Amino acid sequence: MTLQRKRQIKLVLLTVLIMIVAVIYFYPVLLMFINSVKPFGEVVLDVIKLPSKIEWSNYSYVIDKMEYGRLFLNNLMITAIGIVGIIVFASLAAYILNRRENRYTKIAHLLITTPMLIPFQTIMITLLKVMGVLNLSGSRVGLGIQYWGFGIPMAAFIYSNFMSTIPKEIDESALIDGASTLRTFRSIIFPLLKSVTFTVIVLDVMWIWNDFLLPLLMVNSSNETKTLVLSAYTFVGQFNTQWHYAMTAMVLAVLPSIVIFIFLQKYIVDGVVAGAVKG
Amino acid sequence: MGRKRKYMLENVLYTLPALILVTMVIYIPFVMSGYYSLTEWNGIAKEPVFIGLKNFKTLFAGNTEYIKSLTFTAKYTVLFMVLSNVLALALAVALVQKIRFANLMRGMFFIPYIMSMTIVGFIWKFIFSQGFESLFAKTGWKFLEWSWLGESNLAFFAVVFVGVWQSLGFYIVLYIAGLQAVPKDVLEAATVDGAGSVTRFFKVVLPLLGPSITTCIFMSLTNAVKVFDIILAMTKGGPGGSTYSATLDIYREAFQNNNYGLGSAKALVFFVIVLVITQVVLKIMHSREVEL
Repeated sequence: MTLQRKRQIKLVLLTVLIMIVAVIYFYPVLLMFINSVKPFGEVVLDVIKLPSKIEWSNYSYVIDKMEYGRLFLNNLMITAIGIVGIIVFASLAAYILNRRENRYTKIAHLLITTPMLIPFQTIMITLLKVMGVLNLSGSRVGLGIQYWGFGIPMAAFIYSNFMSTIPKEIDESALIDGASTLRTFRSIIFPLLKSVTFTVIVLDVMWIWNDFLLPLLMVNSSNETKTLVLSAYTFVGQFNTQWHYAMTAMVLAVLPSIVIFIFLQKYIVDGVVAGAVKG
Repeated sequence: MGRKRKYMLENVLYTLPALILVTMVIYIPFVMSGYYSLTEWNGIAKEPVFIGLKNFKTLFAGNTEYIKSLTFTAKYTVLFMVLSNVLALALAVALVQKIRFANLMRGMFFIPYIMSMTIVGFIWKFIFSQGFESLFAKTGWKFLEWSWLGESNLAFFAVVFVGVWQSLGFYIVLYIAGLQAVPKDVLEAATVDGAGSVTRFFKVVLPLLGPSITTCIFMSLTNAVKVFDIILAMTKGGPGGSTYSATLDIYREAFQNNNYGLGSAKALVFFVIVLVITQVVLKIMHSREVEL
């Protein structure tokens, strides 16, 4: 047997082995989907068996009961508001922090990025109180604004690091041509930051969309701040004996992320890697 | 207006929104936590009562719940870090080979990472109870019959296992990126010099993976010490309070026991411990990296 042939066989064996591992690894996600379309009773009887018929009415029941449409809208708006603010304020600040070095920007840089070291749980007790006073605890906009504050440190850090790789001559020549600072930033610098902006979007959408603790803290304030994951949490708590409904609620909570991931796998993985390496 | 004045004004104007937002949600609550930690307050009484360092004395005089939750978190973190990094590196090495469906399989490992940790906790709670029961009926394997979430020792491993399962894909893609960056000519040179694949991995690839290892170790550390959602969904800290993590314990002290003062003190001590450990680990890791 030639060496080449030996290598090929080895590769096939490795493929089969890792495929088996991957399928077992992914099986729990499949189980959730399978059990979400089972008629009542079949879940308790046998979790592994495929459903005797596909019970779509589980979905209509849970969508109705959870008020899925409203939750989805809440999630969408909170995430969108959060992302836009983080990108605008973090990139603007990072521009000045990176381009102008003086005592003020040094202190500002420190103040803006240091919170990356403070775990959220350290401040959650008093956060609720402060947000209550500022009237930011009971609305989608309020929650979005809170995410601005929590997201800016890391985003500004990543932006500022990346900006160091853009030659200063580029914006200097624009300024000499008479463009204002804001104009230079908007038309020249920000477009060059596209890849970082993308990284920030990927990281922060995943974080805000799935965040559980902040909405949990604000839960008593209003219906507007109830998110998908939070509602799935309470729903599963109430229906913990009717697993077919609980599974349906769980599928509904994670389905948007999975669908988006299937379409954007490469971009999402690249964004996550870039964020971890730069962050 | 002079140019210099305008320049300064711009500096302030561009950074002010970020500064205000960060101050509002992080610094003010942080300073307030510092004050609350010196008080006794149940959240209902109008004003917190100042009691000095009594809360901290309570914590260090052997508040068993607190020490227990810190010990749990330490054990969780160590096991989580070891398992995540070893398994992720092994799978990454396999997945960078020229095999079919590599992308599909990477996706299958990554999907749990994009799902909410709360939901992941619920899926596994379901599997540990209902799923294992069905599997046991089919296979008769003894370990499926054990009470994975009902017994302290088993519950610890169950929680670590699910934590690793949720985020392994993240570490896999980081290691894959690191492996792909290892220069081909260095590997070829090693092969020419007669190094087998095992020697090549441990003597050439692993040292060159330094930056990836640093990133992964650091990320797994900071994520593990903050573990919260998965445990809340799976065990709510039980059985018998054996799976309370430090963060879950802070949450319980403040929002369930209504001891805002003691809860704040716990939060501050937690902050200091995490800060010291992460900085020490970062220093050690950086000093050991190899330059090419």
